[in-house]
Amino acid sequence: MDQPIPSRRQFLTAIGNLTSAGWIAINWPQIAFAAEQAGHAGHDMHDMPPPPATLTTLNAADAADVDAVANLIVPGGATPGARDARVVYFIDNALGSFFADQLPAFRQGLAEFRRGLAAKYGADKPFAAMPEAQQIAWLRTVDTAPFFSAVRRLTVLGLIAMPKYGGNHDNVGWKLIGVEDNHYWEPPFGYYDRDYAGFEPYPGTKPYTA
Amino acid sequence: MPSKTYKTSETVDFVIVGSGASGGIMARELARAGHSVIVMEQGPRLAPHEFDHDELKIRHLSGITNNPVSSPQSFRRDPAQKAERMRGRNALTYARVVGGSSSHFNANFWRLHEIDFIEGSRLGSIPGASLVDWPITYAELEPYYTKVEWEVGVSGLAGASPFDPWRSKPYPMPPLPVKSSGVLFERGARKLGLHPFPAPMAINSIYYKNRPPCAQCGLCGGFGCEVMAKSSSVWTVIPEAEATGRCEVRPESYVFRIGMNKAGRATGVHYFDHDRKEQFQNARAVVVCANGGETPKLLLNSATNSQPEGLANSSGAVGRYLMHNKGGGAQARFEHPLNEYKGANVTRILHDFYDSDPQRGFYGGGGFDARSGGPLTWGQDVPDGTPGWGAGFKEYLESYTFWMNCSGHGTSLAVESNRVDIDPELKDDWGVPAIRVTYKDHPDDIKHAKWQVERAVEIMDAAGAKQIVPGEVGNTTGGVHLLGTCRMGNDPASSVIDKYHRTHDVKNLFLCDGSSMVTSGRGQPTQTIEALAFRAADYINRFARANEI
Repeated sequence: MDQPIPSRRQFLTAIGNLTSAGWIAINWPQIAFAAEQAGHAGHDMHDMPPPPATLTTLNAADAADVDAVANLIVPGGATPGARDARVVYFIDNALGSFFADQLPAFRQGLAEFRRGLAAKYGADKPFAAMPEAQQIAWLRTVDTAPFFSAVRRLTVLGLIAMPKYGGNHDNVGWKLIGVEDNHYWEPPFGYYDRDYAGFEPYPGTKPYTA
Repeated sequence: MPSKTYKTSETVDFVIVGSGASGGIMARELARAGHSVIVMEQGPRLAPHEFDHDELKIRHLSGITNNPVSSPQSFRRDPAQKAERMRGRNALTYARVVGGSSSHFNANFWRLHEIDFIEGSRLGSIPGASLVDWPITYAELEPYYTKVEWEVGVSGLAGASPFDPWRSKPYPMPPLPVKSSGVLFERGARKLGLHPFPAPMAINSIYYKNRPPCAQCGLCGGFGCEVMAKSSSVWTVIPEAEATGRCEVRPESYVFRIGMNKAGRATGVHYFDHDRKEQFQNARAVVVCANGGETPKLLLNSATNSQPEGLANSSGAVGRYLMHNKGGGAQARFEHPLNEYKGANVTRILHDFYDSDPQRGFYGGGGFDARSGGPLTWGQDVPDGTPGWGAGFKEYLESYTFWMNCSGHGTSLAVESNRVDIDPELKDDWGVPAIRVTYKDHPDDIKHAKWQVERAVEIMDAAGAKQIVPGEVGNTTGGVHLLGTCRMGNDPASSVIDKYHRTHDVKNLFLCDGSSMVTSGRGQPTQTIEALAFRAADYINRFARANEI
């Protein structure tokens, strides 16, 4: 079939004057069928391997400090933050695999971070064990350094990337940013397209359809 | 139906290098005319379920694009500088899969307007640029634009924009459902007296050509379409080419040199197969559809004793006049959620500012659209004044669904020194000399992009935005629209191909892709590339019938 015979409903769709629900009523069975054929009946993650949940690249002390930094970049509290999303497992996984080329610079940056910290606060206490107010005060002095930028970038990736990479545990990141876990959608999509009155042609134009 | 396969020792009628927007069409049209055809594609052939929704893989790990680790490029702003290897991303990015960049494009399908073909004579010369007329007109290409819309599949509303060029037929499909960004864009633009209209998109809005309508997954740009609603070559013309029984698509086959004989005719292509073993495929003619970066690279890497500056390069124009599409826009936050992660990327555009207006004091024109970006990439940056970490940053992340983009897409002037050539040292993982890009924006392109930022801010303000973040206009360091590098023209001294896409220097070598374009258009080149491919294939078939290849 090359093309369905245009109906009045399709003409209304064409000029944008059909409700969104109308569009979906016309098209939904084919969309759902296509999605099922593609093996994506639900969201990708339903069929995914379990995410890594052990450290393979960073040691426990490194991971504790990175986790503490990440959790100040996106803090927990009333809603979950980076720690709840298990961002540190994403970072560990990333640096051990697809971002392995960044690992040497990351380790060097972490060492500098610690040297600076020891010079200011003494060498006896790791960053992860410091009181939060002190952690925040220290981060304010280093938040333009490449190491902080790297942790920040990885934290955002770990928060929002697919859970199979180790972070975004239990969809915490998507929930935080308001993204629902579905693979396909139907209109209305948001607040402003619910009551769209339809496309009104401009004077002198004659929109036409097949 | 299993695809036809040929042996390398067989001499096929045509080898087509590249399976993207133009290569797929070329394959279908030549095979349907009765020719034996092999399509060489650098990348793998992915099944629908392999086009997944993994933003990390697609946008940050070169999931389906040329990877800067294995296929590096170097970049410099000025020809006097030493080019540095790009890290993280390449200057020229393209999809490296069967279907090429038509697999991962946003699917915005704008025709060029009549003015695009004749700006050189209409506007006169511009210092520092080579703004010249095309050797063809809009009228010559119009039937092929229509062919793209009906054969490949485009949705839209004909005649809705007062600025549209004339057309011989409407779109075969109605527009896609509008999104909140489209509604707001339309509201703001209409308040300013502008004329927004439903975006023409190469995405099915209804069941068409045995493919379903869009599932509204929200991930068009950069991603492949697993429901096959996006009109990518891999779902449209390539299966139709294979259905002739005369076309083989050969994935993971990286052509690195065109074979030439002493008589100055192309004899086939040298390529690395999926085991990285060197092979040679015999052919009676070669059609290069490899994109505006890879096509000049292949010609320059195919230099011979008699053509030492690169194949088909007697003009010296191979690789020169590289154009992207410079533009500027704004991000805006609204009171209620838009949920831009749902639905096709663009639903409304406007072309009020399409033509260059000398009264602005600089060359440039373009269109605007309402669009969205994926959350992973969006979350990496914050507007000025928003904390980059801590509670304030978290609050910003929580506002993701309240934002949209108003994006301007515009012209880039052709500048002779902006070019693709071969880096003297850098090689890729196959040992093939790599692309070196030299690119410095023409001052008018910068001015126009800044002007577009101002217009985008006005539209978003009129739409009632609570916060507007004007885009920054920086120096171009690369792009995904790879245009102009083997420009067409009537004069062999200043162009690489003639108006039929035949190289001036090699009778049985044709080129057709973004490299053929003489000017940049206003931002969405794929429909033009596809129209050029239908037209070129028409003429190549005529030449073949007349034994003139």
